[in-house]
This record gives sequence, C-alpha cells and structure tokens, in this order.
Amino acid sequence: MQIMLQYEAEIWQSIGETFVMVGVSILAAILIGLPVGTFLFLCRKGQLLENRYVFSVLNLLVNVIRSFPFLLLVVFLIPFTRLLLGTAIGTAAATVPLSIIAIAHYSRLVEQSLLDVPKGVLEAAVSMGASVREIIFKFLYIEARSGLVLGLTTSIISFISYSTIMGVVGGGGIGDFAIRYGYQQFQTELMMYMIIIMVILVQLIQFTGTTVSRVIDKR
Amino acid sequence: MITLQNVSKSFSQFEAIKSVNLTIEKGEIHGLIGASGAGKSTLLRLMNLLELPDTGDVEVNGQTLTRLSAKELRRARKSIGMIFQHFHLVANKTVFDNVAVALQLAGSRKSDIRLRVLECLQFVGLEKMAEKYPAQLSGGQKQRVAIARALANNPQVLLCDEPTSSLDPNTTAEILTVLNNINQQLGVTIVFVSHEMDVVKKICSRVSVMSEGEIYETVTIEPLGIQAIDNRPEYFVQQLKRDGE
Repeated sequence: MQIMLQYEAEIWQSIGETFVMVGVSILAAILIGLPVGTFLFLCRKGQLLENRYVFSVLNLLVNVIRSFPFLLLVVFLIPFTRLLLGTAIGTAAATVPLSIIAIAHYSRLVEQSLLDVPKGVLEAAVSMGASVREIIFKFLYIEARSGLVLGLTTSIISFISYSTIMGVVGGGGIGDFAIRYGYQQFQTELMMYMIIIMVILVQLIQFTGTTVSRVIDKR
Repeated sequence: MITLQNVSKSFSQFEAIKSVNLTIEKGEIHGLIGASGAGKSTLLRLMNLLELPDTGDVEVNGQTLTRLSAKELRRARKSIGMIFQHFHLVANKTVFDNVAVALQLAGSRKSDIRLRVLECLQFVGLEKMAEKYPAQLSGGQKQRVAIARALANNPQVLLCDEPTSSLDPNTTAEILTVLNNINQQLGVTIVFVSHEMDVVKKICSRVSVMSEGEIYETVTIEPLGIQAIDNRPEYFVQQLKRDGE
C-alpha cells in the first residue's frame, strides 16, 4: 500500500481523467446514441417510420465505426478531433473518439432493446391516436426501460475499457497510469492495485445497473 | 356509423380483402366471423386505418378516414376504441396509468384524467386494481383494463379483435357482459371479430360471414344473450352423462 500513498496525487488525477472520459462518453451515448438507436429501430422494415435508405445509412455507419479496432479509430480520428477542438492531445481531445464509439455502441444496444417491445403495444398506441413522438416517450421507452438501463450498463463498462488506451493521445486515465507507472517502470504491485480499482469500479457499475433495471421492470 | 366502400387490401401477392362493401349502423353489435385467413381481422383493422386500404374509402362516424391528414386521422382515432386478443397493455405502467395514457394523448387536464380513469375502471369493475401492474392480473382482468382504456375518450365505436379468444368460458362470459353493457348503456357501436360461432351468437345483432377476403353474407339475428355459466360439479356430471347416452 506504501506505493499507493507515494503516488496518491497522480492516482487521484488519473481517476479524475477516467471519470471525465467515461462521463462524456455516457452523455454522448444518451444524448445521441439513444436517438440514433431509436431511429435504427423505427426505420426498420414494418416499423412506424419504415425507411430503407435512412436505415441502411445508419446501420452501415454504426457497423463501420464498430468494426474499427478502437486504437485505429483513435488515430484515424486525429484530424477530425483537431478540427473540432483545435488539438488532438489531452483528456478533452480523448473524449472525441470515445464519444463516437459510445454513440455507435449504445445505439446498437438501444435498437436491440426496442426490438423486445411487443409490436402489439405499439399498435395499440397507434389505435389510440398517438403520434410517433408520443409512441416513443409514452410507450416504447417505458416498455423497454429495463433493457435500456442494462444496455447502458454494458456500454459504460466498455467505455471504461476503451478509455484505458487513451494514453496514446495523452488522454491519461487509470489505464494509462497503470501502464506508465506500473508496467513501464516495473512497479507490478502498483499495476495490480490499478487493476483492482478498475475491477471494483466495474463491479459497482454492474451491480447498480442490474439493480435499477430489476426494480423498474414490472413485466 | 361505419361504411366501407369498395375497400381492398393486399399483402405482397396475397389479396386479403377483395373489394368489400359494408355498412354498420349506429348502435349495432356487428359480428365478423369466418375461418382463419378469411380476412376478418384485416377488415376490422381497416376501420381505423391500422391497415391502409389499397383502394376504396373508409367512413367512420361521418368522417372519411381515407381522406384525412395524418393529424386529423390521429384525432379521429381517439373516438374509435380498439381492443385486442392479447390485450396489448403497457406492462410497465399500472392499471391506472394504462387507462390514463389514452386521456393524456387526447390532451385532457390532469384533474379530469383522475376522475375519468376511476370512472372507467369502475365501469369494468376494476377500481380496486388501479395500482396493480398488468402482470399481477388474470387474462379477463387485463382485457377489462384494455376495455377501460378504449372507453376513456368516450368513443362512438369499439373495434374488438378476437377479444375473448384467449380466455376461458367463464371469463369470456364476463367480457361479453361488459361489452354488452357498453353497447346498451353507452350506446357504443361495436364491431366484434371472432372465429367462435357461439360467442358471436350471444351478443351480435348482425353478423357478416367472411370467406377468402369477401363478405359471403350478412345475416340479421336475435342475440341469444349471455347466460351465467354453471360451475357446479353436478352440472358437469349431468352434462357428461347426457353426452354419453
């Protein structure tokens, strides 16, 4: 434990960087991934906004982003990040590729959760004169809510994993700290402690997500 | 109340409805009966445009639905109730909220919603179940919630798509009684799709027999009424012995 105290300031900083990177990814997943996933679902064949072209474009985009090995996506996006933020280095810059993978990742899980909603429920909503907007917010999301929460939980854990390699663009974070101070400086003990922190973090997130999704599931 | 004029509907190559004409009068309980695949459910779903006809016009309650804008159609649908074989309740909403959502969609005030929901639940005899979730109810209770939801906006017409087909005989009688009351007390015109002859004979005053996407014949009948079901064991024994003779 001595070694943890020795690096206390750096450890807290790296935890903070991880929280920033993962936090922004979560926001991107909810604010953009959720609508994209909803459109993916609604534009499918036989659904309310059936549209082959919109579906194909979104579907392809999500697949392409998800097929990139993440490290390559980060490098590939450097010019875009620079265009957006004026720099491609640092924690803020690291949130750009993370947000893009977060959107692609969560939108796919959203689409899958929405597919679990019985079609009849949406049909009943249409028969009651609901608009598409009302169907989404008063029926679709309500009926799919536990799946949406579980999907977000899975996504957040993936974001943590993705965030560990952001050292390549100076993003920092727990993973980067473990590599630089633990692995590269032969302080295996320090690396182990960092891994333990990540395990605890993931356990907490999974436990919270599972509990919430169970409590709100009345089906 | 409902007029279908030369209405037809195909699904890819299959002609589900072949140029049907049908008029349903105000206050009727109109049965649609036929073998599966005869087109009875499709015909019913054309009456609130859940299916869009390929040709022809659908008129309900003085409005030609096929000529309305999307917004006008949504408004028109609020006065056409519909119930389904598998109820289609929102499982994550309480009984109260399942009924309330119909009123929210119609833009009712919050204080009015509460009163109206309780009124509708009382009508179907479920006022004590308001805070339960659908998973905690029996099939018959779920169908009654669906009926309360369909009634919430005081519809002129109630479309019933095999509403008793997944229910046992007791519960079927219960639901038929509720539907009959809706027709008698509230004056709601009911269209009732079923493949069960004895169910149709109990409550319908006119019945259209469908076959291969067409109406074979429409018959006017005297509804038999809903008899209380005899659940006494001696009745079952008596029936068994009589059948055996």
